[in-house]
Amino acid sequence: MKQIAVITTVYRYLSHAQHMADRFLVGYPHNGEWHRPDMKVVSLYVDQKPPGDQSAQRAQEFGFRVYPTIAEALRCGGDRLAVDAVLIIGEHGDYPRNEKGQILYPRYEFFQQCVEVFEKDGRVVPVYNDKHLSYSFEKAKWMVEASKRLKFPMLAGSSLPVTWRLPDLELPLDCEIESALMVGEGGSDPMDFHALEAMQCMVERRKGGETGVKAVQMIEGDAVWKAGEEGRWSKDMLSSALSRSDTPQGLSLVDGRTQDLVGSGQLPKLVKNPAAYFIDYTDGLQCTLLMLDGALKDFNFAARRRGTKDIVSTQFFLSPVPNVTYSACLVNKIEEMFETGHAPYPVERTLLVSGVLEACLTSRLQDHRRLETPQLSVHYHAPRASQYCRT
Amino acid sequence: MKMTRREWLAAAAAGSLALMPGRRLAGGFGLGAPPPTPSSTEEGSNSPGGRLKIALVTGIMFKYAHSQHFVDRFMEGYGWNGAWHKPPMDLVSLYVDQVGPDDISRERAARFPSLKIYPTIAEALTLGGSKLAVDGVILIGEHGNYPRNEKGQTEYPRYQFFQQIVGVYRSSGRSVPLFSDKHLSWNWDWAKVMYDTSRSMAFPFMAGSSLPVTWRIPSVEMPLGTRLREAMCVGYGGVDSYDFHGLETIQCMVERRQGGESGVKWLQAYRGESFWQAYQDGVWSRDLCEAALCRSHTLTPAREGFNDIFPTLDDMRRIVKDPVAYNYEHTDGLKCTLLLMNGLAQDFNFAARVEDRKEPFSTQMYLPMPPDRTTLANFFSPLVNNVEKMFLTGKPSYPIERTLLTTGLTAAGVESLYRNQARYETPHLSIRYQPTRESTYWRT
Repeated sequence: MKQIAVITTVYRYLSHAQHMADRFLVGYPHNGEWHRPDMKVVSLYVDQKPPGDQSAQRAQEFGFRVYPTIAEALRCGGDRLAVDAVLIIGEHGDYPRNEKGQILYPRYEFFQQCVEVFEKDGRVVPVYNDKHLSYSFEKAKWMVEASKRLKFPMLAGSSLPVTWRLPDLELPLDCEIESALMVGEGGSDPMDFHALEAMQCMVERRKGGETGVKAVQMIEGDAVWKAGEEGRWSKDMLSSALSRSDTPQGLSLVDGRTQDLVGSGQLPKLVKNPAAYFIDYTDGLQCTLLMLDGALKDFNFAARRRGTKDIVSTQFFLSPVPNVTYSACLVNKIEEMFETGHAPYPVERTLLVSGVLEACLTSRLQDHRRLETPQLSVHYHAPRASQYCRT
Repeated sequence: MKMTRREWLAAAAAGSLALMPGRRLAGGFGLGAPPPTPSSTEEGSNSPGGRLKIALVTGIMFKYAHSQHFVDRFMEGYGWNGAWHKPPMDLVSLYVDQVGPDDISRERAARFPSLKIYPTIAEALTLGGSKLAVDGVILIGEHGNYPRNEKGQTEYPRYQFFQQIVGVYRSSGRSVPLFSDKHLSWNWDWAKVMYDTSRSMAFPFMAGSSLPVTWRIPSVEMPLGTRLREAMCVGYGGVDSYDFHGLETIQCMVERRQGGESGVKWLQAYRGESFWQAYQDGVWSRDLCEAALCRSHTLTPAREGFNDIFPTLDDMRRIVKDPVAYNYEHTDGLKCTLLLMNGLAQDFNFAARVEDRKEPFSTQMYLPMPPDRTTLANFFSPLVNNVEKMFLTGKPSYPIERTLLTTGLTAAGVESLYRNQARYETPHLSIRYQPTRESTYWRT
């Protein structure tokens, strides 16, 4: 039975650590049954213990120990690496924000300490890192390079790429994509990361595979509507994406009516501070993330394939709180890597998206100017098989 | 024929017919009546430019009432197949039986001058003239202040509305397609009259819940001709209310089994302590109940501090208030059970035991339900879309016999509860029909 160390910032109700690590403790719904991983959490490191901390209770009930350092957690108090896998969850908790508005979660620092143990003890194990790798692309890159250098399996990212889709849409591998658009809400870092990664998991399947991003730009306010008028993002694609939404705000809240938010001209009234993230890929693909707080509460994707008039679209389904069953979809992928030693999808996806997000936030800080991103020439190929929940 | 799990899932996911033995063509109708022939297209539309005119007859209309979901989808349009869809027909008349303080029918009629409210059902169908002047009718008798009888049924006037509608059909010498929301009537005899009338007058008639046509998570179909051993829905809601949705959830799946639908012999309801006794005695399969619950996205955490933890039977006893089960047997021996487990889950989950397959077949019929989780009850979109299709083609998307049977099952559940949970024989429910070959649930 594989032994797992959990390294996290906080462990309290509805934190990522709680709902993800708990699934290793009490099981989770998967493929129509309650799946209980054949693994055991043996050690835990929590960086902060705010009110509501559950680490001691979980440790006592499930028979593991909470250690004061990451190294001790990985060695279970001994002198050698004593676990078979590491789950790093650096989300939630009281950490400073930088001038770009990013919360400085210590994911890189946690990861680095794990790598130190691997190097000192001469053994490596698979590592999952929740959400983006780091607020800094440089640090993120170091993390991925460390996993390559030391040859350990690494997985990261959001649950959006692996959750249910309504409808069950997957773009065919090697299709030609002209452009893609994602619409969501929830503000910068964290929710934009989820949205960007959901878009990336769709477009990475295009012909030629992923070859990286050459430039990004983030704009805000009225400039977003103006860019729409100028055709910089496609109203048809936004319309298609929004046709998948179950949560239009405004008049739907007032009296339940359905709304063609694009056609009705309601969007500018509903969205006080829109944001558009433009991503220009090296191979010419153009993607746009629109964060339209006030217009909707879900995440919807649209793409136009080259040579077709039709737009395809889907909703990335975030199932309700408290079950947040979408995180079970993600935990299943983590478990798969822990079990097989093989990451079901490339960590380069998350590396690229981490860098895209950071570059977009830099663009915002620098008067919304377009930034060339030579550092983001990240190459990889999407897995052949679909990885999201569909059975 | 044995299938591996992978093959079976592939067939289910594709809605594939090819792998399953014993399938039959759809199109047979039960009770010896011939399938209806469309009349509206034969007789010609009264509408200029060929656009159909539609009337909607309802008990009441307020925010999130069924009538609001229908009216707004016709007037405003709705998201469909990845685009904004405006039905290619015009909702031109409304009859609203009760106008409460939160009525929105007046606001809708004021905002859309093409939509007129008439004081009687007859006038809504004749547009104030003397003869039927619409090409399709929608009947929604849900919500509103109507009497409740001693069995706990709300006596929504669907039958009375229906009679007035067919009265206009008769006096006009012309019938048009009719959609009736939810079960046909709280009263089985009346439901049967509605069905028989639609057959004798040969108009396309469709009815039922949105559960059979909404998203499924996962998006799977019961392969046609499947050999089923047992089926179950775990849902929530009340008797003579959401029980109907749960029964339609089961029926839209089991009607695809080998041989098609043959009707139901008896039903027994369980409530309260006898529910738990029956659960323990294995009256229904515990495995199927658990499989269905594993498809839920709204399991009440059985322990404080955990967000998603599977309940033990003791947990369920503590969490579920007033559990209700309808356990029934089809004429061909298939046993089905609807469990209403209020407090434990707030979604509709289906599970079935399939012959030669180890794991249960299961899915959730997903309702994006406002106001907590969404702002739109978009499960009405596929329902409205199927109604539109019937109006355009004169052909119901799925057989009315499904809803005739589930109407009878709902009434039988009420009856069994009323008779102290006694087994209730249902010879009147020997309803035979074949499912549609094509899947009609939302998946695009």
